[in-house]
Amino acid sequence: MSTILRTIANLRKAGVKDALHQMQHIGDTKAGTLVATDRFGNKYYENLQDELPLRTRWVDYKEYEEDPSQIEPGWHAWISYMVDKPPTQDALLETQVRAWELPEHRPNLTMSRSAFKTYSTVKPKLNAWAPVMSPRQ
Amino acid sequence: MLSSTRSTAVLALRAKPSSFSVPYRSVAMISSSASKAAAAAAVSRPHDVVGNPETPPPMSVTGKARREVPLPSQEGKKGVMQYALTTLDQIANWARQGSLWPMTFGLACCAVEMMHLSTPRYDQDRLGIIFRASPRQSDVMIVAGTLTNKMAPALRQVYDQMPEPRWVISMGSCANGGGYYHYSYSVTRGCDRIVPVDIYVPGCPPTSEALMYGIFQLQKKMRHTKITRMWYRK
Repeated sequence: MSTILRTIANLRKAGVKDALHQMQHIGDTKAGTLVATDRFGNKYYENLQDELPLRTRWVDYKEYEEDPSQIEPGWHAWISYMVDKPPTQDALLETQVRAWELPEHRPNLTMSRSAFKTYSTVKPKLNAWAPVMSPRQ
Repeated sequence: MLSSTRSTAVLALRAKPSSFSVPYRSVAMISSSASKAAAAAAVSRPHDVVGNPETPPPMSVTGKARREVPLPSQEGKKGVMQYALTTLDQIANWARQGSLWPMTFGLACCAVEMMHLSTPRYDQDRLGIIFRASPRQSDVMIVAGTLTNKMAPALRQVYDQMPEPRWVISMGSCANGGGYYHYSYSVTRGCDRIVPVDIYVPGCPPTSEALMYGIFQLQKKMRHTKITRMWYRK
């Protein structure tokens, strides 16, 4: 929330429901055009006229537990101002999913049940002795 | 989305061979399920006998029995008391994650990136993060840089001076596990040998964005902390 006038102006543009949602998540009210929704469900917005530089593109996360790693690589490039066009219009990203890519984007799994845990695939250096007893005569 | 994306090959690698009598199998044999089924059929199962207890659950890599525990976000709320305590926890956690006062333990070049976090580009003040010079006023210690053996007692002392609740962010590969100086005679191989670490930020040095992401992860950890609920459980 920068200034009250800006907040109220954006509230009128975006609507009460979206503005309250933005205050909950971004902490600011922003009005812009919806560029696209990615495969996961995050919504990407843009407003090149009214916003300050480096604040012109923003994301509305699908999940409440939002995490920047939920943004796909192509959209990450767009939202970080590496490319001009969003991946829906970018010619380089029209190849879709390559063979070596994962079929869908995987976010950071830290603190979830799927988090990486180290495991060993090498031969253990110490082996337990399994006692073999010959039968009593 | 979180659980479904796990590829089956990783899970198959992670599986423990069912019999401990064979100390070593090749990776290809571990991943094939047919050999495991054959081995399981060969051994006589003690719980087939009437009155015997069932076979214990399969052991994990660490040797402990594997238990599926729901995440804090997956646990439901039952009863009025849990609802009230969850709300109390949410308020306390909101207050905690909204004003994170780090004790800066800048030891090496990582500290420069930590300073960049407070400069206008990343502007940690908007997150309520203010660097404190005194450990008695801080919640989080950001260990940024190589921790040497000579510095280790000072680090522990500073950590002991911090009031509860306190968290530690280990920043950079030197603080995580020695990093470049792992084989040096005078370097502590990881600050988690000295203090309990909550968040490890990888990198050499990590960018300011990486440190900020680590702070977001710490805030996520705080959000799921059960303060009054654990107290009520006692």
